[in-house]
Amino acid sequence: MRCAAFRRLPPLAVLTLGGCAMNGAPSFPVVGAYFPAWMICGLIGVAVAVVLRVMFVITGVDAVLSLRLFTYVALGTVAALLVWMVVFGP
Amino acid sequence: MTGSADPPTRRRLPRPGIVIAAVCIALAILVGLHAAHLDRHHPSSDNAMIDAELVHVASTVGGRLIDLPVRVNQHVRRGDLLYRLDPEPYALTVRQTEADLALATAEVENQRRMVAIKTANAASAQAQVTRALTNRDLAARTVDRLGPLAAHAYIPRQEYDQARTSLRDADISLAQARQQALAADIAIGDLDSALAAQAARRVAVEHARYSLRQTQVFAPQDGYVTSLTVRPGEVLAPSQVLFTLVVDDDWTAVADLREGDLAFVQPGACATVFSMIDRTTPMRGHVESIGRGVLSPESAGLARGLPLVPREMDWVHVAQRFPVRVRLDPAAAPLLRMGATATVEIGYGAACR
Repeated sequence: MRCAAFRRLPPLAVLTLGGCAMNGAPSFPVVGAYFPAWMICGLIGVAVAVVLRVMFVITGVDAVLSLRLFTYVALGTVAALLVWMVVFGP
Repeated sequence: MTGSADPPTRRRLPRPGIVIAAVCIALAILVGLHAAHLDRHHPSSDNAMIDAELVHVASTVGGRLIDLPVRVNQHVRRGDLLYRLDPEPYALTVRQTEADLALATAEVENQRRMVAIKTANAASAQAQVTRALTNRDLAARTVDRLGPLAAHAYIPRQEYDQARTSLRDADISLAQARQQALAADIAIGDLDSALAAQAARRVAVEHARYSLRQTQVFAPQDGYVTSLTVRPGEVLAPSQVLFTLVVDDDWTAVADLREGDLAFVQPGACATVFSMIDRTTPMRGHVESIGRGVLSPESAGLARGLPLVPREMDWVHVAQRFPVRVRLDPAAAPLLRMGATATVEIGYGAACR
């Protein structure tokens, strides 16, 4: 069911998620403490921004960009929010 | 951009990097607004708690614990024997009150005989009145007869005086007999006091039997025995709690939601609850109710007295949260432990699709 939703998403988000949503509680135990889902999404956003930066530098897209900080932050934010909406959202 | 630039420069499109940045930032803002809207209309909490109702198991009577067939953490069904107190003192009390009742019943019979005797006495006193009346009438007639004769001196004056004395004597006897008859009537009495004493004894027997029954404690609900740390031999005071029963048929999750989100919580709405005991198994539930009040430091003052108003200059106020009760549909027993951490998603989630 979740997988069907992925087809509507931009390829970017599909790459980021890399598979079906986990069908569990929106809270993750790490050595005895529960971390909220939005924190995971935030980390994913950061990771996406870093990976995109690396890919864009390799492919030369990065040279075209200006206001790089804002661009990558915005892309990371979009990725994080999409992950949240698709995996954990209503 | 400036006035000194040549015309081709002025007409040049913005650099593609700026356009990409603007598009990305606009997209982020739009997606962010949409996510905020979704979040606001679908309240959730990852700080909820699995909750159940409790019965503090105690007997209304005290005594020595002689039998304890349940163990801690055991599941019991409604009506199962939980423990027994030494019934002997209460059995003795039952026998004592039964003997008191027999005594009171005998006293009723006794009183019934006394009433019969006194009724007969009253009848006898009434007969005495009749006799005294007859004697007085005779004495009166004698005086009436002798009066004219004595007036003409046909009979000795002495005889007439004796007759008048007899009349006065008969009057007094009649008055006495009437008073005795009245007293005898009053003295008959009734069985009310004896019957009331018998009723009181009967109630005492019932009460003693009730106390005897209370020496056996049965499970009032299905549930789990918790906090049981004693063995038979313990002496319990009346109403002393021996252990706590976690009621098994009625589990809830309590999620504290911010007051601003309560407008989107409708009683009866579906809710997905995950117990963190197994965070992969969704449990279905329905919103039962929203807490009507919580204690806050501002409202925790004395009931009487002056309001407690702290001096403050806070510009940011943290939202108050209210407990929302979600009644769980029957779920797997291993997931349900009172106090377990849970997440609650109201109106969506794996169990509400």
